[in-house]
Amino acid sequence: MIAALGLVVGIVLGLLLHPVVPLWMQPYLPIAVVAALDAVFGAVRASLDGVFDDKVFVISFVSNVLVAALIVFLGDQLGVGSQLSTGVIVVLSVRIFSNVAAIRRQLFGA
Amino acid sequence: MPPTAPPSPTPATGSRRLQTVPALLAQIWDEALDPGYAAAAARRTAGAQRPVRRWLGTALALGLVGVLLAAAIVQANAAKPAVVQQRLDLISRIQTQTKRYDATVAALAAAQAQVDRLKSDALAASGTGTGLDAQLRTLSVASADVAVSGPGLRLTMDDAATPGPGAAGDPALGRVLDRDLQMAVNGLWAAGAEAVSINGQRLTALSAIRSAGDAILVDYRPLARPYVVLAIGDPQTIQADFAAGAAGQGLRTLQETYGVQYTVSGADMLTLPAAAVDLRYARTKGGLS
Repeated sequence: MIAALGLVVGIVLGLLLHPVVPLWMQPYLPIAVVAALDAVFGAVRASLDGVFDDKVFVISFVSNVLVAALIVFLGDQLGVGSQLSTGVIVVLSVRIFSNVAAIRRQLFGA
Repeated sequence: MPPTAPPSPTPATGSRRLQTVPALLAQIWDEALDPGYAAAAARRTAGAQRPVRRWLGTALALGLVGVLLAAAIVQANAAKPAVVQQRLDLISRIQTQTKRYDATVAALAAAQAQVDRLKSDALAASGTGTGLDAQLRTLSVASADVAVSGPGLRLTMDDAATPGPGAAGDPALGRVLDRDLQMAVNGLWAAGAEAVSINGQRLTALSAIRSAGDAILVDYRPLARPYVVLAIGDPQTIQADFAAGAAGQGLRTLQETYGVQYTVSGADMLTLPAAAVDLRYARTKGGLS
């Protein structure tokens, strides 16, 4: 599939090119990655459910990443950055778990 | 599930299982799938419009996800060696500076010995000078200004190998502390020691035994375990006097309570180096400078 190929190409590019992450971006990168993974698992579930929509996926991916980074940025400014990071991670991982559970039910019927 | 019927975002099994958890988490769980997918599917059904598959955007977005993921992983792994590298750099800088200090001290000692030799040569030339020379030698020994040798005692202290009953809960209590060394050295002076050194560092009236973090410093030089204290004194009495004094009792208590190891032995011939005494403010009033 072209989409899966895109993911693989992206990972290989990232590993080969060693993109230099600017210092100000470093605290937000892990959160952004978790948010992106949430969007990806949501998309996989949607395509298994037969309701996948590329526009929804791209928009949800971009907004997920931006909002997650923004929340942590705001938290840093307010001095509760680590607590907000924890909150964001909890919410996102609950969603990821839920989506993976749905994917599992779709794929294996269990 | 068929694409014509948008699935309910609430799987029945999921909600039943989660009735006991707080409503907020249950909502997150139930709405895990972006409601936008259902809405888009509903729009498509209502408009009876064939979904247009534009894989390019999806592939690009997934590619971006991949780049982000790889960058984050590379970043997280690169941060670790940087910290280690910094630590190694600091250690090597400390070692370089310590070596330079040692070299400087050795050069100073050599220069001092030469000065002493020239001084005593000059003094020996005159009659009054010979008396002065003897006095100078005594004072030099007392002030740790020259290297000395003679019989005495060797005290070796080390951290507990097996913590004693007092240090059962906390192995840090079985460590030799700066206070323990201070006590031992004071006991040696009290037992008649004329010169004392710790791990090759001669002690003077100005020496400080203190700790910084976990390390014990003598005159700002860190010591490495085990701690070897050499003392020159009367070989007949110094060992017995030390053992009978307060310091000897203190060491026995340390050994029984915390497991701190120490051994005391007599020595026929000890050589103690000179100390680098650095006086910046004190000046003599005429006489010998």
